[in-house]
Amino acid sequence: MTRTTQITILVVLFALLSLFYQGLWGDPRHIPPVLVGTRAPVFEGPDVESGEPMSSEQYKGKVILVNFWASWCQECKVEHENLLRLYDEFKDHPEFVMVGINYQDEIPKARAYLQRYGSSFPHMQDVKGALAIDFGVYGVPETFVIDKQGVIRHKWIGPIVDNVYTNLTKNVLTPLLQRADTQVRPYDQAP
Amino acid sequence: MFRLFSIPILLCFVIPTAGLAEVVDETEIDQKVREIAKTLRCTVCQTENIWESGAPLAHQMREAVRERVIQGQSTEEIRAYFHSRYGDYIMMEPPKQGVNWLIWLAPFLLLFGGGALLWREVKGWVTRTPPSQPPPALDETSRRRIERELNDNQ
Repeated sequence: MTRTTQITILVVLFALLSLFYQGLWGDPRHIPPVLVGTRAPVFEGPDVESGEPMSSEQYKGKVILVNFWASWCQECKVEHENLLRLYDEFKDHPEFVMVGINYQDEIPKARAYLQRYGSSFPHMQDVKGALAIDFGVYGVPETFVIDKQGVIRHKWIGPIVDNVYTNLTKNVLTPLLQRADTQVRPYDQAP
Repeated sequence: MFRLFSIPILLCFVIPTAGLAEVVDETEIDQKVREIAKTLRCTVCQTENIWESGAPLAHQMREAVRERVIQGQSTEEIRAYFHSRYGDYIMMEPPKQGVNWLIWLAPFLLLFGGGALLWREVKGWVTRTPPSQPPPALDETSRRRIERELNDNQ
């Protein structure tokens, strides 16, 4: 067996093992999100604080930022201050809506969390985790941005901090809000 | 008199049968949930399906499967729903398309490639090994010594 053949075999074996390693033990954060560019699922549930029913239908035609969080999630605490800052930055825009979805949590704990860390935008309960599965959520925190046509344009797994915050506000939210296209396309016609 | 006893006797047969029918229905749902759940990968675990995983997300996914089974959705419809949310990653058996073919074909390619290389190497060894030579003839001194020793032992 020539040296070239030996090296080729080693390279092929290494490439295959790398692929299998990535597939079996890889970080789900690096998996391409399949929902980006598709119609966002309709989400509805009771408000965490008031218990009143909420639905994404009431936000039709607006840019919606959806953030999945839980009171037991450490990374959610890390990003919470930034979420409040982000809401303050965009809250005056008439086409901006921000909704938190409380995931796998106990309501008293979720309410205590919001009282302690602050709450300026509405939060929806997802006790059974059905909304999270509809959004293809792996864990919390996860953030989605839905455009005026109801199409998911952005997904981020992990806390909104540093460059992630800048990218989200400057490169995702601002352009979507500045778009003159305010005509709402029916959900079933979205790509 | 016959009518008086016939009703309780009849009920003895009917009531347990109705109960059994209920149990069989439940088992069928459980069986279908298990079959589907075993084909879906727990997205927060390492190489575990959602049926075997103890993760809370896997539990919620099992419940989502159960709800859809009860609603009357087919196995393919339920699998398609999860695939639409999580992509190929959620399938314990990745769909046979695109780069996934590598996963399906790699073991066979390695087996045949390895076998071919082994065959080639073994063949090379056989070709390179010189044929065995006959042992050198015994010289006269040694032959006499051996004969002597044999005779002494008798």
